[in-house]
Amino acid sequence: MSDHFRAFSFVDRILSDKQGKAIVGQYQIPDLIRKFPMSLVAESIGQCAAMSSMAAVNFKHRPVAGIASVVEFCGCARPGDILKLEVSLTRADEEAVAYSGVAWVGDKPVAKLSNCLGPMVLMEDFDNPVAVRKRYQLLVDSGAEPDAFGGVESVDFESVEKSDGEREGQFTVPHEAAFFGDHFPRRPVFPGTLLMDLKLKFVADLIVDLEGGPWTVVGMQDVKLRSFMPPGELLELSGKVDKIDGEQASILVQSRKGKRRNSSARVMLEKKIL
Amino acid sequence: MSTEISQAEIDAIYPQVAEIVADALGCDEDEVKPDSSLINDLDAESIDFLDIVFRLEQEFKVKIPRGKAMEEARGELSEEEFEQGGIVTDAGLAKIKTYLAEIPADRIADPLKSAEIPKLFTTETFCKMVVREQKG
Repeated sequence: MSDHFRAFSFVDRILSDKQGKAIVGQYQIPDLIRKFPMSLVAESIGQCAAMSSMAAVNFKHRPVAGIASVVEFCGCARPGDILKLEVSLTRADEEAVAYSGVAWVGDKPVAKLSNCLGPMVLMEDFDNPVAVRKRYQLLVDSGAEPDAFGGVESVDFESVEKSDGEREGQFTVPHEAAFFGDHFPRRPVFPGTLLMDLKLKFVADLIVDLEGGPWTVVGMQDVKLRSFMPPGELLELSGKVDKIDGEQASILVQSRKGKRRNSSARVMLEKKIL
Repeated sequence: MSTEISQAEIDAIYPQVAEIVADALGCDEDEVKPDSSLINDLDAESIDFLDIVFRLEQEFKVKIPRGKAMEEARGELSEEEFEQGGIVTDAGLAKIKTYLAEIPADRIADPLKSAEIPKLFTTETFCKMVVREQKG
């Protein structure tokens, strides 16, 4: 069975869409998967925005991950939960989509994205425009069958302490993975939200060792992906304590390919238990 | 609409623009100079240009339309008069040198590939984009 619209698709119904302006979607997290990382909740908000923006440009372009100024993790999403995805778009044209959005479980927000910007690429370079248009229509009309997603394979990484409050490491983008069949069929690239998840794991030891804790990850800021990550690419990771200010702290985490910075983000911490 | 931009107008917004460029590129503000080429000196990628324009629009409450800089640089020249086969024409080159007057002439290659034009953009170029929109 094809992985397209299965292995890395997190909107299974569009409840309303003012194309390029506002969209409300829904995603039922499959019961049978072990866990659903918060980074994938963020991905579902982004995919909802993508649907509306692609419809706005007649499926000639599609957005890819770029910038998320603020990502807040304010709750939990578990297997079996239904995410309601509300997104407002301030821009959707051939160059970029700009949006903010919230994922709800019941009446509680679990994740918020603010001031996100995704550059548009030519759809036909990455995916089949006809198939994507058909998928959009299916989501609007009757919705897709839930439970298509079977989880993602974890990606191994190396991490060593460089100095107090600083770690470095590396990882290789998998050569093969089911999600490449969906992200994207014509040009497989490692999803930015999986890199986000990997970064959170990479800095876990820094968080445990950070003075004044225990600290809880409450989100990420200034998240930026600057270049595509094809299968098999080796990337270096670095993380260092950025700021400790009373009840809040942040860790700057970056990835590099050689000398070029490929991505960056600040992991935001608070002294509280979610 | 006056398109003349004074140094005082640029100086007035430069600190904010430099801060935005530094934030977007994740570098120290000290590294950002008025004549820094964002691509050659500060390692900017195309996503960074989008980011910077997005931040400038929010900070200065202006709208910088897509392709605005290239359109303004071209002036009254048609696309064919401005570039042929990916190379900027002599007339186009003269327009570029006028539009990007802040850039030392020796940085502008001759012949100049049109795809290389963004490499010329400096922090001051972005200041001028904002001032133009503020005045427009």
